[in-house]
Amino acid sequence: MTVLIRFIIIVITLMFFTFFYLYINDDKYYPGADFTTSDMPDFEIKDLYSERLFNIKDLEGNYLINVWASWCITCRVEHSFLVKLDSKDIPIIGLNYKDEAEDAINWITRFGDPYKYIIHDYKGELALDLGVTGAPETFLLSDGKIIVHYRGEVNDMIWDDVFMPIIKKESLFDAN
Amino acid sequence: MLTKFFLFSTIIFSTFTISESLYKFESVEDEKRFYSLIKEIRCPKCTSGSLASSNAPVSEDIKSKIIELIKEGKSDQEIKEFLSDRFGNQVLYNPGFSKDTYFLWFAPGLFLILILLIFFFRKRT
Repeated sequence: MTVLIRFIIIVITLMFFTFFYLYINDDKYYPGADFTTSDMPDFEIKDLYSERLFNIKDLEGNYLINVWASWCITCRVEHSFLVKLDSKDIPIIGLNYKDEAEDAINWITRFGDPYKYIIHDYKGELALDLGVTGAPETFLLSDGKIIVHYRGEVNDMIWDDVFMPIIKKESLFDAN
Repeated sequence: MLTKFFLFSTIIFSTFTISESLYKFESVEDEKRFYSLIKEIRCPKCTSGSLASSNAPVSEDIKSKIIELIKEGKSDQEIKEFLSDRFGNQVLYNPGFSKDTYFLWFAPGLFLILILLIFFFRKRT
């Protein structure tokens, strides 16, 4: 009897470790990243600088969408990396999240503009539809479909671990 | 006189006299549905709080969205799907029955069977 109980305890412990080993080694698992493909939700939102309206047709192609705001401290930390990406010809679209247009424009003129254009999501409608929980968050779009959603600051490490493997696999952005 | 006036005005202008419900509903049922839904959905920004317990900006947005969806006549199931599509399955406290959750649902049963087996095995010896 005690042999059986001992055996079961050992088996359960082993199962436990195997389970976590598999979970940790899962390539698809990365904290903060979501690799499920989903459709870009439809929207109609103004440009930050003008009255021009953007909609889903403006996002056909391969883009990065970066959610940012002038009140967001981590966005300030992330910003220099985005400027670096822009110099590598990676098209980034800014999604200004719940921000006053004036503050956002001041922020951009002060720290540099890595964005192709900036969508001014004042009420956070599109952001809610995208599943944004805060700023910064970054999406990778391939032919109008979201293939990566990363919650948090993008830096060299995150770029190499999360975005690059997918970009190489799908052979997006000719520069790389 | 002045003190009396101030005391009186605190009653007259107190927030209580002008307070009203924060969210507006078309019917009592809708209101009940809303309050039961926000207890069943986790706030995506919190470690493990429900929407009801949270006033994080994203929770407030989701709450307004739930009201909007209720007004559009969406069912509870549709609202939950809408949110889990956007924020992931972890927003639902009650996990759905799918390939990823088989272990979660069957494990207690398996453990029960295992323990019953040990129990009967012991009786015989």
